[in-house]
Amino acid sequence: MVKIGKHKTDIQIAICGSAGDGTIAAGDILKQAMAKAGYNVIAFDIYPPEIRGFGKCVARARITSEQVYSLKSESDALVSLNDSHAIAHVQEVGRYGAVIYEDTPISDIAEGAHISSHLAPAHLPYGVAFREISERVTGSARSRNIVAVGYLAGLYDMPVEAFHHVITQKFATKSQALADSVLDGFNAGYHIGANTFHLHFDRIGTSRGKGKQSDLVMMSGNAAVARGCMDAEIDAFFGYPITPATTIMETLAHEMPKRGARMLQTEDEISAIAATIGAGYAGARAATATSGPGLALMSEMMGLGVMAEVPIVAFISQRGGPSTGLPTKTEQSDLNLAVFGVAGDGQRIILAPTNVEGCYKCAGKAFEMAEKYQTPVVVLLDLYLSNRYEAVELPKKNPFAKNCSKPITQKTNQSSYKRFKLTNDGISPRAIPGDEACMHTVTGLEHDEQGRPSDHPVMHQTMSEKRHKKLLGAVNHRGITISKRFGDKRKVDVGILGWGSTFGEILEAMIEARKEGIRCSAMKVVMLSPLPLKPINAFFDDCGEVLVPELNYEAQFASLIVGATGRQVHRLNRVTGSPMRVREILAEIRRLADKAQMIAAQ
Amino acid sequence: MNVREPLYLEDKLEEIERSGKLSYRSQKLPTWCPGCGYFSIEEGVSKAMTRLALDQTNTVCVSGIGCASRFPFFMNTYGFHSLHGRALPVATGIKVANDDLTVIVVGGDGDAFAIGGAHIPHAARRNVDITYILFDNGIYGLTKGQTSPTSIVGFKTTTTPYCNIDQPLNPLMMLLSYGASWVAQAYAGEPHHLTRMIEAAIAHRGFSYLHVLSPCVTFDKTSNTYQNLNMKVRPLPDDHDASDFSAAMTEAQNNARPQIGVYFTSQRPTLGDGLNDVAKRAATIA
Amino acid sequence: MRSKKRFETMAKREHYVVIGNGVAGTEAALQLRQRDQNSHITMLTAGKLLSINRYEFPKVFSPCGSDWRDFLLHPPEYYDEHEISIQRNIWVTHVNAAEKLLMLRHRESLSYTKLLIASGGGRYIPESLNQFRDLMEKFGTYEEAKTVSEALSKGGHVVMLGGDMIGLDLARSLIKYGFRVTVIGQEYLFWPHHVEPAEKQRFTTILQDMGISVRSYASVESIEQGKSGRKARHIVLNDGKTIDADIILSFCGLMPSLAFMAGAGVDIERGVLVDPHLKSTDKNIWAAGDVCQIWSPEENQYRFYYGWENVKEMGRVAAFNMTGGNESISTFQDEKLIVTDTGEIDSPFWQFS
Repeated sequence: MVKIGKHKTDIQIAICGSAGDGTIAAGDILKQAMAKAGYNVIAFDIYPPEIRGFGKCVARARITSEQVYSLKSESDALVSLNDSHAIAHVQEVGRYGAVIYEDTPISDIAEGAHISSHLAPAHLPYGVAFREISERVTGSARSRNIVAVGYLAGLYDMPVEAFHHVITQKFATKSQALADSVLDGFNAGYHIGANTFHLHFDRIGTSRGKGKQSDLVMMSGNAAVARGCMDAEIDAFFGYPITPATTIMETLAHEMPKRGARMLQTEDEISAIAATIGAGYAGARAATATSGPGLALMSEMMGLGVMAEVPIVAFISQRGGPSTGLPTKTEQSDLNLAVFGVAGDGQRIILAPTNVEGCYKCAGKAFEMAEKYQTPVVVLLDLYLSNRYEAVELPKKNPFAKNCSKPITQKTNQSSYKRFKLTNDGISPRAIPGDEACMHTVTGLEHDEQGRPSDHPVMHQTMSEKRHKKLLGAVNHRGITISKRFGDKRKVDVGILGWGSTFGEILEAMIEARKEGIRCSAMKVVMLSPLPLKPINAFFDDCGEVLVPELNYEAQFASLIVGATGRQVHRLNRVTGSPMRVREILAEIRRLADKAQMIAAQ
Repeated sequence: MNVREPLYLEDKLEEIERSGKLSYRSQKLPTWCPGCGYFSIEEGVSKAMTRLALDQTNTVCVSGIGCASRFPFFMNTYGFHSLHGRALPVATGIKVANDDLTVIVVGGDGDAFAIGGAHIPHAARRNVDITYILFDNGIYGLTKGQTSPTSIVGFKTTTTPYCNIDQPLNPLMMLLSYGASWVAQAYAGEPHHLTRMIEAAIAHRGFSYLHVLSPCVTFDKTSNTYQNLNMKVRPLPDDHDASDFSAAMTEAQNNARPQIGVYFTSQRPTLGDGLNDVAKRAATIA
Repeated sequence: MRSKKRFETMAKREHYVVIGNGVAGTEAALQLRQRDQNSHITMLTAGKLLSINRYEFPKVFSPCGSDWRDFLLHPPEYYDEHEISIQRNIWVTHVNAAEKLLMLRHRESLSYTKLLIASGGGRYIPESLNQFRDLMEKFGTYEEAKTVSEALSKGGHVVMLGGDMIGLDLARSLIKYGFRVTVIGQEYLFWPHHVEPAEKQRFTTILQDMGISVRSYASVESIEQGKSGRKARHIVLNDGKTIDADIILSFCGLMPSLAFMAGAGVDIERGVLVDPHLKSTDKNIWAAGDVCQIWSPEENQYRFYYGWENVKEMGRVAAFNMTGGNESISTFQDEKLIVTDTGEIDSPFWQFS
């Protein structure tokens, strides 16, 4: 029945409803099933800031056969489970895109309250009796969302078996009767969708896995972080709930005890990082997770971690700021706080993954680095990356090394062990409580090699140098992408330098620009501190103009780069609470390409 | 006239070495002012460790910031001199990472009850298996004499030149109500009793809180001086039942005439026990 | 003060609602916009597509392939430019003329100040054929036309019951694209032309010369679902002969689509009765196109007028009068079926621009 076309697949679906309509659950089934069927999927859900009630939920998923890097600014189909919320999202549906909606409301509605009167002329209306079908087939209106997913699957010729598989799995823990009823609802919707005249032109085409069931799993950035922690064999985690980092703690609370590892919800962010530092000091692989406001509270402790050279990992998922800011909106404005936010010269390692797979890699590698370089490692995410889902294929072999501490080579007697011994690479052999004859006290005070407080001017100069020098090796740490260049590898007119979640949109824009014949290249910088200056400078050498798009007002990354390289950049900054639009970046690339051409002509 | 025996340094050193307590002392000499009550606390900890024959390799002293918090530097154990007010969460982390470590947390009244006040209830209610020795001199010494949360009303300091107007806290009642499983008070001027109390505190399985009254001889010439405290401090009544929570609260109310001894002791699962239990539950589900 | 003034202007704005997006409705909407810049204009249609040219439907059989975009009367931008809200997939269930409210199937109500009924006509199925309804394919919408074209294999056989001018238009295209066509029946042959019996034979011969098989004196006795391995439909005629067909279509003229007008309080006969100004018996309701019967003073009766030109003119006149004009309809109706110089049939109903 289902004909999978030979053409490439690139369809973006948005499902919009209110909390309680099963919007996110519907989106979840969609993305899991399509990943199961071997498609690339990028998904990003928007939740209401309200705790309960009727807040707006939007689940978006972009389903593709080729590798893509971000969601599109236009969706190809919108499914409305609640018109009062979805009406505002009609405009995101592109030309000849479909708007799928409830055609059998349960009660009379006011003039203008139905979505059908809000469609643009270029939209295709698909009114469906979701409620009636759900009631008829499952005995209740509650499965409207499932009927809608079924309809969608039918309408777009999606592979039905993958949906059956995901639904069966999802409801496996519930009763068989419920699972059957949900399947019935899905099938009823599917049947109608498959038998509806297809006026839209988007079809599901080839998959990445050429149709075979794949090892791709749908994973959010936060879930990937948790998975990375587990694969790095985390011992202890301490956290305090804060949007959008909480799900890291929630996932670990579930997973860690299964392996005998320990998770504790502390009384605040200060105690969370204090306990993390305590555990790191005692030899555990320890981590915490928070958002900007929590990181602000943790700043003093971060300095202690630097001074006492304690390995810890802190996952920071940024949201709109300053202060409490926009707790449920994405932003990249905590870079300065993460890189510079300590008293004194307190450099530490900052990693900023750009996609879900990167979240996994950075999470695991952060533990290696923390141990190896004896420093706090901050992994900087943002709400968009934390909550967005991508189909990822995790490595079959655990990629993370276990014990990376510099070993105490010679057995020393108790008075000769120097915790902060000055070495060539600045890294000292590290003893932990329980190690015989290596007793020492670590402190936030400046100290000598033994760790004894010292305010001697030479000592402070020497120790400051040690703490900075030891980090330099991190830019060559194995098994992790510190920076990477994409696109044209020769001299180009425009280079786009990016970090964090925005790099997906940057890549999409660059690919578009290259299709237009613009000579351009993009570079992502994953390690924000210490900066991999060599490849960054090489990139500047190759680029006529360099553009730095980021989701903050103050151009924090651009300023960091300018400060470190002394080069000129063009800044593109947006703080709308949403991911950067590809077309905005593209417009800047075009403008800069023209400029570079003009300069070349002169 | 009573003629004192001549004191020979070698003899004294030999006596100290024989006592064994020096092995718990680092080579660094305490930086406290001569006459400070903290010397007797440090002496008491060393003696108690000797009596308990603690393994230094598996002992960690944790502190925050303040005069008292210099303590770990003077001990020949593992030590963590952390941040102002944050000794308890750091110690909690250490204990979560390794149950086998003996963790002794020390701190002053400002470190504990001003900046660090939010952490005490949680360490206590979780029954983290650590010993918390609170050095209470009723003043900020390291910053040279400012009022603290346990300073008495009317106390003149550099920041309260006309007198302190704030009611002092009652730490014993606070700790009792927070659910500390072992609460006691001692006095630096009663070193033998103090040593016994420290020994019992370390021996207690769970969160033990020892409040030590200790004069600041440099910045407090009027309030908690040895002279004043010698007159006021008295032992808890002989018939005090340390298993009786109400009795403990009643006795703790009298802050003006401090009583020393064990106010309250009880046994309940520690944080480590709880976490092990969680792991067992998780393992059965998985 | 400012908000009050705004309210007053808003209160004066007309809300014209046009039911139907065929030739009449689409023309009316444009005229309404041109004559009243300040108004709200809403077009309602049960279909999912923008206004479409039904006269081009035979092209769905073209081997070159086509999709609905090729049939659009106007691109989507046209509606935005003219500020015409075209709401699709909308089913009006009831008109409350007293309160000037439309009730929609999805339980929304819509208020209007002036209403134009331009819902057109659907296929008419004579009583005798009604029992075979389910075995006859529909051809009224783009989706239906496309479905028929996809169901018909190359060189397939189409049987047309009736043979009105819409059907014959399709028939000549089908022949052109290599399909076989059989027309059965006499009563509706050449509808809505009045063809004198004497001429009928002549025209029929022309049809047969075009390659259309005409069984004008036969009528359908029964239709059966084809058995496996056979054609999809099996027709038994009254003379006992049988015909196997891939597709059966009924082309027996049009039936105004106005079930929703029941109970509206407007006079209806077969269509909505309107005066030569196209106004119905309700002062806020007009009608245009295949749905209305217009009073003809000459003939002293209400009558239908068909064909692109007529229908478009009705849309224009209705809109003109809805916006304060006072014009009577003058139709282009030419009843004559024409034979061209080259000996082919032509009809004004086949003309469109």
